[in-house]
Amino acid sequence: MENTSPSPTRQNSFSDFFKGNRGILITILLLGLLPFILALFDGQPISSLLANDPGKSKFYQGLAIEIFILAIYALSYDLLLGITGLLSFGHAMFFGVGAYLTGIMLKSFGWSLLPILGLVAVAGVVMALIFSIVLPRVKGITFALVTLGIAQVFYIVIQSRELVNYAGAEIGLQGVTPPEFLNPISHRLRFYYIGLVAVFVVYFILKRFVDSPTGHVCVAIRENEDRATMLGYNTFYFKLAALMLSGIVAALAGAMHGLFSPIIRPGIASSHYTIAVLLMILMGGIGTLDGALIGAATFRLLSFWLEKWFGGASQVIIGLVYILLVLFLPYGIVGTWKLRGYKVKQGWVDLIERFTGKKQET
Amino acid sequence: MENNTLLKVNDIHTFIGQFHILQGVSVEIPKGKIVSLLGRNGAGKTTTLKSILGLAPPTQGQVILDGEEIQGRRSYDIANMGIGFVPEHRAIFRDLSVHENLLIAERKKGDLEKKEELIFSLFPDLKRLIKLPGTNLSGGQQQMLAVARALVPDNKLLLIDEPSEGLAPVLIEQMMEAIRQLSAESTVLLVEQNFIVASQLAESYVIIEEGHSVKSGKMVDLAADPETIHRYLEAA
Repeated sequence: MENTSPSPTRQNSFSDFFKGNRGILITILLLGLLPFILALFDGQPISSLLANDPGKSKFYQGLAIEIFILAIYALSYDLLLGITGLLSFGHAMFFGVGAYLTGIMLKSFGWSLLPILGLVAVAGVVMALIFSIVLPRVKGITFALVTLGIAQVFYIVIQSRELVNYAGAEIGLQGVTPPEFLNPISHRLRFYYIGLVAVFVVYFILKRFVDSPTGHVCVAIRENEDRATMLGYNTFYFKLAALMLSGIVAALAGAMHGLFSPIIRPGIASSHYTIAVLLMILMGGIGTLDGALIGAATFRLLSFWLEKWFGGASQVIIGLVYILLVLFLPYGIVGTWKLRGYKVKQGWVDLIERFTGKKQET
Repeated sequence: MENNTLLKVNDIHTFIGQFHILQGVSVEIPKGKIVSLLGRNGAGKTTTLKSILGLAPPTQGQVILDGEEIQGRRSYDIANMGIGFVPEHRAIFRDLSVHENLLIAERKKGDLEKKEELIFSLFPDLKRLIKLPGTNLSGGQQQMLAVARALVPDNKLLLIDEPSEGLAPVLIEQMMEAIRQLSAESTVLLVEQNFIVASQLAESYVIIEEGHSVKSGKMVDLAADPETIHRYLEAA
């Protein structure tokens, strides 16, 4: 099949795969070594690291796991918005359902992990189907507002008094005991590697999807839905496919959050959490997938370090950083890198204009 | 005569929003011919194409393809009945490569493989550019790609909207040659502002003015009729 098409654009052999993904593979390698490097700098012996003794390495493993979870969540949103062009303001619902379902099934029903993950994936599909009811009728910002509405209903339900025994109302779901082999305290190093593998498995699956014929139609829909229709595609099914895949991935990211964090707070199902993921992919570079990874890491590390250094003032500084990023890297970190068009000078001009109110000569 | 007609547009009326754009347009396209829709800017030529395609469904009148009424059907169903559309303004997918742009137009697997030779003989440039993303192509190359994309599946009818718009003269020549070769394979409804281009390609014409089809006939007769050209086509 490949050699008969006008030009074999697919990368088939292993060496091509390595060449095409060099940056990612090096990143995986470095992240794989990270706990050991941190332990080395901290003077912690390997045996103590493997026993999950507390220390700098263990602390940063925790931070990295949070980034992995956010990265999976951001990847799912990038598939929806960056690839298919569907703006949803209800994406946090997928994450929230994944987390709460995991917590509730573990704590109140005593299910084991595998059936829970299956259930979470099914829940992701079901929610995608709920969103898809309005899909053929509304577009753009209207779709965004409908999804926001549906997600807010879930956000309110999860905090309701009636469900307090299951979901813990506004305080959140506490006392979930994850399976012993995945305990984030006693087996954090294992959790770290599982998280690392999960991120990149999801990354490569989504990359494969984007490069598939179905993925190409999704890109076409983002660019111009009428044109895709005129080629004979019923765009609804393609949008639904993207919504479902994105929903499953986001719900599984939520499940990981449910396993990792000691308290599952209702905040993760709120619109703030949708805005957060939007920020991540805007910072990283929308529609690039790599951008979702970079954006998630930037987002979490920025808030971690700025909070550490500036405490309460960090929110203001984070806001400033976002403004600077938009000015200087309008296509996000990865997007700007790919275009090789650093708008540094234009950014300065805009900034000076904003402060002085005067137009600068460029 | 009747069974020789591929597409018959019968007195259609189309609204876009609240505006009554088409107020009675009739077009008849015989099999294997090129028919040109003429008329000034805003006369309703593109809207006629969109009405045929179901992007702007007509509220009145019929669109009959091969004896079957298709008005009111969904756009993708109409497209799948064998109508290819080349929209104006170089309507390619910029984030897909040239190869992907062609591949996405397949209706069944292997379409591209079958048409590859034809496409590359019409547009040899595309072979060289096959791996480039659409956004890196020049305006003319994008227009070539847009036409090539409509050739990938087996289409009974091609609707081509302003193919020469904004092209350099040498590219217009190439585009005309391509459309001429196309008409051997398929029937073409051509919207064209450039009368010289249209008159060299099409056998017959339909003039649209203010949403009405006002005149139709053989292209040779129109070319010999400067008064009609002046009245309906030249800048008022």
